[in-house]
Amino acid sequence: MALLDIKNVSKHFGGLKAVDQVDLTIEKGQIYGLIGPNGAGKSTLFNCVAGSFAPTSGKILYNGEDITGWKPWNICRNKIARTFQIVKPFQTKTVLYNTVVGSFIRTSNTSEAEDMAMEVLKKFHLADKCNVLAKNLTIADRKRLEVARAMATDPDMLLMDECMAGLRHTEVDETLNVIREIRDRGVTIFMIEHIMRAIMSISDRITVIQFGRKIMDGTPQEVANDERVIKAYLGESYGAA
Amino acid sequence: MEAIIQAIINGSMTGAYYGLAALGLTLIFGVIKVINFAHGSLLMVGMFAAYWIIHLTGWHPYAALFLVIPMLFVFGYALQGIVIKPVLEAQREVREPTEVIIVTTGVWYVLDNLALMLFGAEFRTVKTSITGQVFFLGDYFLPKPQVYGVVITVLTSGLLLWFLKYTRMGKSIRAASLDRDAASLMGINQYRVYNIAFGIGAAIAGIVGCVLIPFYYVFPSVGVIFDVKCFIIVVLGGLGSIPGALIGGVIIGLIESIFPMFMTSTWTELIVYVVFMAVLFIRPAGLFGEKRDW
Amino acid sequence: MNPGSKKKNIDTLLKIIMAVFVFTLPLWLTSPAYLQILIFLFLFAYLTTTWNLVGGFAGVLPLGHSAYVGIGAYTSTVLFITYGVSPWMGMWVGGLIAAIVGAIIGIPTLKLRGAYFALSTMAFGEGVRVLVENTMTVGPCVINGPRGISIPLIPGNNLAAYQFVSKVPYYYIILIMLIIALFITWYISRIRPGYYLAAGGEEPEAAQALGVNVAKYKVWAMALSCFLTALGGTFLAQLTLYIYPKQILGLDFSFELAFIALIGGRGTIAGPVIGALILRPVGEFARIYLSAVLPGLHLVIYGLVLIFVMLFQPRGLVEPLTRFYDWILNKISGTAPGKEVKS
Repeated sequence: MALLDIKNVSKHFGGLKAVDQVDLTIEKGQIYGLIGPNGAGKSTLFNCVAGSFAPTSGKILYNGEDITGWKPWNICRNKIARTFQIVKPFQTKTVLYNTVVGSFIRTSNTSEAEDMAMEVLKKFHLADKCNVLAKNLTIADRKRLEVARAMATDPDMLLMDECMAGLRHTEVDETLNVIREIRDRGVTIFMIEHIMRAIMSISDRITVIQFGRKIMDGTPQEVANDERVIKAYLGESYGAA
Repeated sequence: MEAIIQAIINGSMTGAYYGLAALGLTLIFGVIKVINFAHGSLLMVGMFAAYWIIHLTGWHPYAALFLVIPMLFVFGYALQGIVIKPVLEAQREVREPTEVIIVTTGVWYVLDNLALMLFGAEFRTVKTSITGQVFFLGDYFLPKPQVYGVVITVLTSGLLLWFLKYTRMGKSIRAASLDRDAASLMGINQYRVYNIAFGIGAAIAGIVGCVLIPFYYVFPSVGVIFDVKCFIIVVLGGLGSIPGALIGGVIIGLIESIFPMFMTSTWTELIVYVVFMAVLFIRPAGLFGEKRDW
Repeated sequence: MNPGSKKKNIDTLLKIIMAVFVFTLPLWLTSPAYLQILIFLFLFAYLTTTWNLVGGFAGVLPLGHSAYVGIGAYTSTVLFITYGVSPWMGMWVGGLIAAIVGAIIGIPTLKLRGAYFALSTMAFGEGVRVLVENTMTVGPCVINGPRGISIPLIPGNNLAAYQFVSKVPYYYIILIMLIIALFITWYISRIRPGYYLAAGGEEPEAAQALGVNVAKYKVWAMALSCFLTALGGTFLAQLTLYIYPKQILGLDFSFELAFIALIGGRGTIAGPVIGALILRPVGEFARIYLSAVLPGLHLVIYGLVLIFVMLFQPRGLVEPLTRFYDWILNKISGTAPGKEVKS
């Protein structure tokens, strides 16, 4: 059975159709990519799944259960975690504190939560920085913290919104390894990304969105060669080739 | 019936200068996104400036405008540059710069109580050539200073709108209010823009001071009355909206003049607060503000 | 003994000395005037500590908290005068009412952005003041509008009636209340609700994505804060035996509470206490000795201190003072600086 099933979801803002009747299915254990030109509606779709707002129409099913319109904290309790495109660490708090907030969803005992958080931080190579204030971290570390914090909630599915934006070449490779490790630990990944070589190399399947509509889905190979996708990104004049 | 119409006339005229008072605040609030709790104090400073100029020179209050406006502009510019800007800069990253609110509260306390220390708490008035004079419109009377106040309000608002729409600095101000980072990337010195916006806000407060002088008492805590009211008006009319400030002002003015006919005036105060809270809950963007993620 | 633990021992010793000093103060400082000043100092420290639960930990700026002081004071007083209920009982009723009112107001307002929340609390605070000033009676209970209520003096020390001749019992009562409030604040900051509250105050969206129902925690913090604040209101009523709207419900009072916490360091546990320790004596001194000559000077000073602190130490004076204390510890114990000991 599909883990996440987005059925005919639309999101309108006044007259603007940000997401228009999108269908999307993600199987357990996949790394699923969502790409499309800027403003296509990718983040909006994410936000519908994550509960930031409810879709105007359509259904979102998780493990067969209807989670359409659920609030973000209940989505998290339901084992779906997310990261933000513009990272939102708790700036005045330490790396450990940030992560503990995540692990508190699994226990209400502070020292247990701290132990769990340290476990997570070790896996993300942030353990030695556990007492550093989040605002003093480098941008790469902040992005790692964002993921670590989300992982501390022990999710079954992780929504990653452009987590590689602004990273250097080597940092992108590191992040790809991290994502693979997360998947190997049994977490299904749904990610938005603009860095083509990254998302093409790591995804099992990809959906392409333009102007709020899905224009195709398939394997990275299929997507790269699809005429519609090429036209969407590069413009009409490239389409014919 | 006549009494009600008179009340409507009074309320609208009062509302006009309430709106003028709120104009500076909506500009500052809308542009710099700063809650300036010292706004009432700026008004008080404007009134005292007008008072002393008229008292010492015997000029007509509207002639005093020529001195008051530049004085207050410079004062506002300096205040923003010296006190507020450092706090804003330090808080650039923060989502909600509450420190700025706190600093302006400090400024409010300092200004109001300095005035108290320097001038004493007594209520002062100035006799001007138009004090107490009245126009007659059928059975209804319109005090001259208030009528001139309305005229000045309309003129000022029109001037401000023109300035914001057609001049370079005005456009810079509008750009900075929409997105300060984008604006600064476009070569707009955002802090200079803020200084000027603040200066303009203060200058408008000065204008209000001159408008009020012929018929209002001048005393150190006069600002407090206007302060809270101005915030209510700004929220009601919509943050950053000039017509909103004026219409909001008129609404409050009308509430204040009509309701006391049916209940004590202190209950009216309560009504204003209730209206305020209602707006905050139902439509925080106000009548003309843009919808945001409140 | 290595320098690190020597420093820690000295730290503990100093703290014990301070605690003993504070607790035995009334034994040798017998002047009621000075005791009164200290009592007010502790009262403000208490009220700002309870304010801090919302204003510091939840990350919002409440500027109308005096309303809850008033609810506490008026409820216990009215119950005492009209029905003979001991203020010790009335206190809890006042606290409960304040908590409920705070929660009701909090539910819609805590969703608003910082500045709008601040404005709404001001409007509410002023609304309560106007309401009380315009009410003479509520059923059989006398409110007396702007002139306020005098609590009948019961001769002698009367524990049941919460009235004492000497200032000493008041001193200990408020000291214990302060310690309890500090303990509650400390405890909350170490358990899950405290973490959730702080997270929600700083980055609500991120906190929500981590499973935190931010609004729920903020409302609970508000209710708790209002409850405890109201208890302080009853204390104030019993201390001064005369309450009236301008004193207990004004915008000035609300602002003073906020100022003290902000200058001391909101969101920290010691901050409000330090703020009170610094500002109250300054304010009292200025008011007593200078207000005849220069009225309003103490408020000018408050304002200037506020501005300077926000410009140079926006997180409050707790930070530099903590560093200074640490420096002193180093000097006494002979530790090289940099060997920070987590106490």
